[in-house]
Amino acid sequence: MRERTFAPSRILIYVVVSLIAAAYLAPLAVVVLNSLRTNEEIAQASMIGWPKHWAWSNYVAAWSGFCVAETCAGIRPYMLNSALVTIPATILSTILGAVAGYAVSLWRFRGDSWIYGIVTLGLFLPQQMRLLPWTIVLRDIGLINTLAGLVLIHTIQGLSFTTLFCRNYYVAVPHELIRAARIDGAGFFRIFWRIILPLSPPILIVTVIWQFTHIWNEFLYGVTFTTGQQQPITAALIALSAAVADIPQHGVQSAAVIIAALPTLLVYLLGGRYFVRGLTAGAVK
Amino acid sequence: MPEAARKSRQRVHTREELAMPITITRRRLLAGSAATLALPAVVRAQGAKPRLTVISQWSAGSDGAAITALGKKFEEKGGIWQHSPVPGFTTEMMNKLRAQIIAGDPPACSQLKGPEIAAWSKIAPTVNLDALVAAAGYEKVVAPDLARLHKPGGKWISLPLQIYSTNMLYLSKRAMDKAKADKMPVTWADFNDLAEKMKASGITYPMANGGTRPDDGQKFEASFAGISPASYRAAIMNLDENALKGPEIRAAFAQVRKIADWMDPNVGAQPYATNLKRFIDGDMGMMIQGGWAQGVLRNAGFKLEDFIIVPGPSDNTKPVFLLNADAFIFWQRSEPDLQAGQTLMAQLVMDPAIQTMYSQITGSIPVRTDVDLSGAGWSDGQRRTAAALKDAVANNQAVLSLAHNMAQENGLTAAMIDVLTEYVKNKTITPEQAVTRLSEAVEGAR
Amino acid sequence: MTDAVPAATRPGRSTMSGVVRRLPEYLMIWVPLLLSAGHLVSFALWTIWISFTPSTLVPVSGWVGLRNYTAVMATRNWQIAFNNLLLFGGAFVLLSVVTGLVLAILLDQRIRGENVLRSIFLYPLAVSFVVTGTVWSWLLNPGIGVQKLVHDLGWTSFRFDWLVDRDMAIWTIVIAAIWQSSGFAMALFLAGLRSVDADLIKAAQIDGAGPVRMYRRVILPTLWPITITVVVIQLQFAISTFDLVRALTNGGPGIATQLPALVVYDLMFQRGLLGRGAAAAVLMLLILLAVLLPYAAWRYVQRRRASHA
Repeated sequence: MRERTFAPSRILIYVVVSLIAAAYLAPLAVVVLNSLRTNEEIAQASMIGWPKHWAWSNYVAAWSGFCVAETCAGIRPYMLNSALVTIPATILSTILGAVAGYAVSLWRFRGDSWIYGIVTLGLFLPQQMRLLPWTIVLRDIGLINTLAGLVLIHTIQGLSFTTLFCRNYYVAVPHELIRAARIDGAGFFRIFWRIILPLSPPILIVTVIWQFTHIWNEFLYGVTFTTGQQQPITAALIALSAAVADIPQHGVQSAAVIIAALPTLLVYLLGGRYFVRGLTAGAVK
Repeated sequence: MPEAARKSRQRVHTREELAMPITITRRRLLAGSAATLALPAVVRAQGAKPRLTVISQWSAGSDGAAITALGKKFEEKGGIWQHSPVPGFTTEMMNKLRAQIIAGDPPACSQLKGPEIAAWSKIAPTVNLDALVAAAGYEKVVAPDLARLHKPGGKWISLPLQIYSTNMLYLSKRAMDKAKADKMPVTWADFNDLAEKMKASGITYPMANGGTRPDDGQKFEASFAGISPASYRAAIMNLDENALKGPEIRAAFAQVRKIADWMDPNVGAQPYATNLKRFIDGDMGMMIQGGWAQGVLRNAGFKLEDFIIVPGPSDNTKPVFLLNADAFIFWQRSEPDLQAGQTLMAQLVMDPAIQTMYSQITGSIPVRTDVDLSGAGWSDGQRRTAAALKDAVANNQAVLSLAHNMAQENGLTAAMIDVLTEYVKNKTITPEQAVTRLSEAVEGAR
Repeated sequence: MTDAVPAATRPGRSTMSGVVRRLPEYLMIWVPLLLSAGHLVSFALWTIWISFTPSTLVPVSGWVGLRNYTAVMATRNWQIAFNNLLLFGGAFVLLSVVTGLVLAILLDQRIRGENVLRSIFLYPLAVSFVVTGTVWSWLLNPGIGVQKLVHDLGWTSFRFDWLVDRDMAIWTIVIAAIWQSSGFAMALFLAGLRSVDADLIKAAQIDGAGPVRMYRRVILPTLWPITITVVVIQLQFAISTFDLVRALTNGGPGIATQLPALVVYDLMFQRGLLGRGAAAAVLMLLILLAVLLPYAAWRYVQRRRASHA
């Protein structure tokens, strides 16, 4: 099976893979091409087409030029906001998820299956059911309209995924390792620090990639719980496209979409191999 | 916003535990409005620099430009303008407003319109503007149907800002030339004849269209109100059962079916703006849109000479006006600088010069019926729209738009538009079935 | 699993100072877990409570019995959404598992440029759902997208207008959703393929098994646990997919592609009918439980059987 014995079948494989790859690349190509066409050209011609003139200015306009009502600073300030929310929330939910996954899989305590079950069932709780309750919670702790409030929401909600991933990874760790350390007198944290954490990079990379992407691309909470200049990048993108009473500025919008997607695209490009590797190491039970 | 807001946060209600019903009793509401009669009639009386926190959905395009200009006027008068545009559509804006109200920190002023004003006024205290309105003589220059919406419970709590008609008929010059037509259609029969003429001359889709829900709703309300504004008023605005099952509404659905057959089915869920080029080039002949489309066409680089705007078809030849009006609602705040800001804002909104500036940017017409539109900044389309409004009000043919959430609250409107959009997209539904479904939807949503 | 060191036999004194010493440990274990589980349970209970109240724009107290539920279930919107969920959920999960598996097998063939290809199949995960829905709404639009392209290339009788066809529009959502998320399935399957025991493969090769038999008899069976995980994640995606559908079809044409997540958002926030929206959300959860509970029960039975063996 892993020998290069059948030449025609290998050609077939290459052909099939190339076709599928082309289909996967098509949307990205459309957006990149649109980002280099002028707004007028897209309005006058069609959504899909080759640029007549190369409008590199779209990127400049998207980065620092276009206006959201009164402020004309482009999407630059919003990128910073997104970073201020995404990075802390990713780090926090990853660390806490690792500890929780370790506790549930290796440390064990009364009721751990139940709690783990609830936490993972939480994956399925739809967004809409959480919007108003979070409003009430944030109001009661005074964090409405702050980036810290968003970090809190994403950290707690991210725990469902990170605990799931980490727990499924840690169940493969041999118990003898833990038991030996316990007999030597090591406690919860020392075992975590000395034994679990060094084993974890593959799965931690997976959770970091996953969380980063989801939080960066999230729209609903970002718009409802922030205001004005604090909004994350997804809000700015919607502002660009929701100009109902005006011509949609598809050229600048596409440029903004590309810029906004760069961090997550980079994360997947650079981390893709570690993503697979992390999932390899027993991520699934 | 965070610092000052947190310090002066006003609790609209006492803190309850996890679940927090906001049940504003009538007594509390009246007590609240009594307290706000103390709103300063003159800005300087309090000595506080007027400040205004505003939430709207107008973050881009001509709407964004218009509210930015309004903000600049506010600052010219010495105020501090704190506008928080919410990206997205009206739902996102309402989410934000709701979150702020639940947090006990409503904005001093927010965008809202139609019957939603009455509904939202029940969940948080608003400001009584009667004194300011009387001082400006505003009520005399506002169409009565419109005024009614902005003073639920008999007191002015919100101020309309601009008016659009949703049933303007746009005609492509090139398409008219191709069809060798020169008569502007006045009745629906004229319209149907013109469409057939266009089709015969090679224009495959005489109707330029978008695929969005308001679009489908617009076709229906233009047809229904054009056939019989009185039936429209009874059925759609007053939910009269007989009118909802009568011959006029059936005729309206039949007209909608005709229009739907003249539309390009491939439009999907795209907005109407995707078909503008074909409209101008004469590949599509006509559009039924609101006055905002004029601004869109201009911003897209198309020339005013290439199209004609006339009032939508009306079977009794007198113009029918389907009203769509944006407004600002004022929420009760206890801070003196916000109260001063609200006074200043109310005065600005009612000012004819401000309304002129606003409407010239967005392509709407002012709410005030006493504004002179003969100046240079106005287009013929706007002039015709204003004349149509005057005429329609005089003949009692100015009705509220269903598709743009003016006739009914959002819940009922959406249930009715479910039926309408399904009807437009599904040719197998007969007008009789549609009539039945619509009245069932009204019953179910009551 | 059951041979982990239980708490009772831990070394260390179980006195007051022992508890205090272990306080940070307890906090670290319990606080995040309780926060997560706590917020999920309380939000779910809150929503269930709201579904029995006459709430419209904001939550209010009161009791309307099952009226919200009957009202929601009587609407065409919900009925269409429910059917669509079964159809879309089933088709999407099945097809994305198959797609992921096929892609993983293709990538496993030690072809050149594997890294590039893997990036190509994975990058859609990095794109936000709104962008995905919007771009695919252009690509699948017959007037400006693939159909028009093929027409321009000469094949004028080609038809691909699913997007505006009431009966086929739901499949456009399947296409866009598979594009977005099959990379994840592929990554998981690839990981599984790569971790198949080398000895098993060698043994099968010695027995003379060709590539197809190798896959069928040796490799695919070991992928079963991974398949379960993929199915769970993709099911979660199918249930909660909202932004993508809004951007792609907005529930259209007409209301043909309504899905429960859209109906819930629509009722709660667009129509200002919180009580009805909450009822729809609870119905959604019930549908989910109907799928997940049998699976959980089956796993429970399996584990009992394993521990008794």
